[in-house]
Amino acid sequence: MTVSALILSLLLSFSGFSALALSLDRHHRAVFRTPVSRRRLRGLRAAGWLGLGLSCAAAIASAGWSFGPVQWIGSLTGSALAVVALIAYQPAALRTAAVAALPLATLMLPFALMR
Amino acid sequence: MSRPRSVRQSMAWLHTWSGLVVGWVLFAIFVTGTASYYRPEISHWMRPELSAAKPDPAAAATRAGAFLQRTMPDAAGWSIKLPNAENPAVEVYWWQSFNGPFHHALLDSASGERAAVRDTQGGDFLYRFHYELSLPPLVGRWIVSACAMILLIALISGIVTHRRIFADFFTFRRDRSAQRGWLDAHNVMGVLALPFHLMIVYTGLVTLSAMLMPWAVQTAYRGDILRYYADAGIMIAGRPPAGRPGAALPLGEIVSRAMAAAGETPELVMIAHPGDAAATVTAYFEEPPGLAHLHPQIAYDASTGVELGRVGEAGAATRTGAVMVGLHEAHFAAAPLRLMFFVCGLMGAATVATGLVLWTVARAPKNAAPEGLGLRLVRILNLGTIAGLPAGLAAYFLVNRLLPVSLDARADWEVGAFFGVWVLAAAASALYPPKRAWTMALTVPALIFLAIPISDSLTVGELRFLGFDFAMALLGLLFLLAARLAGRRAAMRQPSRANLHRAAEA
Amino acid sequence: MSTSPVGAHSGRARAYRFAVAARVLLASAGGYGIAASASALLAVVLPGTRAEAVSAALIASFAIMAAVVIWVFAARTVGRAALVLGIVAALLTVTLWLAGAFQTGSFT
Repeated sequence: MTVSALILSLLLSFSGFSALALSLDRHHRAVFRTPVSRRRLRGLRAAGWLGLGLSCAAAIASAGWSFGPVQWIGSLTGSALAVVALIAYQPAALRTAAVAALPLATLMLPFALMR
Repeated sequence: MSRPRSVRQSMAWLHTWSGLVVGWVLFAIFVTGTASYYRPEISHWMRPELSAAKPDPAAAATRAGAFLQRTMPDAAGWSIKLPNAENPAVEVYWWQSFNGPFHHALLDSASGERAAVRDTQGGDFLYRFHYELSLPPLVGRWIVSACAMILLIALISGIVTHRRIFADFFTFRRDRSAQRGWLDAHNVMGVLALPFHLMIVYTGLVTLSAMLMPWAVQTAYRGDILRYYADAGIMIAGRPPAGRPGAALPLGEIVSRAMAAAGETPELVMIAHPGDAAATVTAYFEEPPGLAHLHPQIAYDASTGVELGRVGEAGAATRTGAVMVGLHEAHFAAAPLRLMFFVCGLMGAATVATGLVLWTVARAPKNAAPEGLGLRLVRILNLGTIAGLPAGLAAYFLVNRLLPVSLDARADWEVGAFFGVWVLAAAASALYPPKRAWTMALTVPALIFLAIPISDSLTVGELRFLGFDFAMALLGLLFLLAARLAGRRAAMRQPSRANLHRAAEA
Repeated sequence: MSTSPVGAHSGRARAYRFAVAARVLLASAGGYGIAASASALLAVVLPGTRAEAVSAALIASFAIMAAVVIWVFAARTVGRAALVLGIVAALLTVTLWLAGAFQTGSFT
């Protein structure tokens, strides 16, 4: 189903982008009020790219090789926009939202892969 | 420019000025193009008399053929868009020459006569404005293409200029200076949807490539573009007219054969040289699922109904081009994906708009210095385009419900309302006091958009238009919100500037 | 620039404007010209079927034009940009001629 596949890629890339944003000192300070540590930075980066990668895999697995990439890039734009809006207006909510997106994504998975 | 400077400085200069000179036209192209993702929905809403039905395509084709035979028997070509469940009317075009004019009518699929619908161009007006700007087609297309090329240049130079794309990827500092805020907004809108922006501008150029770059066809095919299309697998090769009249089969007979041959109903049939003994009927089918914009086609002899040929298999390069056209038009996209394209299109318009505003904010006179002529002109053009065009767009929809249904040249009045309200809104914005100009200018489209669902519920009031009306109300509320934000910004700015003065004096 | 009040600056302002105008002209005319002749050439020299070569040439032409325009504005001086563009255009014309684009009378 395209809707659930789209939501799945959106949720995964949202978590990924949140982690990548938090790996940047400026945004880490805005959310946690502390500078980002070396170790944490590496972890967040890895988690971020993993999220984007999973989002890509989910899009291609559910929508195929022609629509999948289009859908994935679209979901990157949409989720990044949400991350920017959260950092600008509700920075404290970013972590909760990013973590909450993961179980939601798991919940979407069977619907997305259903043909 | 004459001094040796860094590449980044040159690119910053190029980005600023290329963006400014075409910014207003680009904004209009983006807005109408984005609206065109919902062209069928807009057309449905603007022709409320047409309701869903289950028409018989073959019979409808025969009736449409009879209508065209009466209207222009000696035409160079006819085109008949067959009805389907969503679009029950038969859309016909006929023309004497490929250079136009192309005549157009909507037919009732049951009677074969002009359908009893209000006269309107519907979504087609916005769609054509998107690439012709309501100018003579060739002129409009060249202007739009030049703007697209300049946008491509602005995008590339913008990427080079923006030195911290990744570090600033998520940055939107709304608490800092106005200039900072607009720059961040411009960057966020531009960078986050950059794949879309690059895709849409390049694929737009590719869509018009045969007109823009005829030279490849010139050397390889001696300018015979139809032969190139046939070789490439884009179209079926035509055949010359015989020069003597011939009796054609009823079109429905050929449509039935096409349905039997392909297992699906054609979307469109085109008749070349109707009335001639060598008249050809080509059936176009919907694109198979996929990104590429390549229609399967079968050509038939109009008088015998014998199959003449099918469109060939497209190679990799042709297919790539077809995928580009497909991506630009996004016909393949189901509702959620189309919404995504729509949002990206809005982000494109927002990138242009924030860039234009940024130009004026960065050059705003400090303290009480008078506003220069150039700055004033750009500021007013910004107001007139960014707030004026949406006002015209909203008026185009609103008058569709307000004008009497049987008014003469009704479609022209609607288009007149689009331009009239746009020009009026733009002219009025020259009179607003600069401090409250954005608030006042943005309130105009907000109110017109909000009036659309109200007038629709009073005049037509059908449940199936709820979605459209909801979207219009949402747009109205968004413009209201923008107007309020602009007002708050202006109010915020006042005391802070006064404080700055005091600090400077101290 | 336009803000310079004294005459000594206005000469430089004029030179600046001339340089900008020259670059704009060079970028638009030169960019289109090179893209046009490159696509004309690609259409006859690319491998594969004739139609495929034309399709590829059409798609590539806009990237070529964009690259030329960017290069014209990035170049150190207008003269340098004009010189390089002239050489490229001459090379393309000679290659087109060698490829037979003019002899058949097909290329106007």
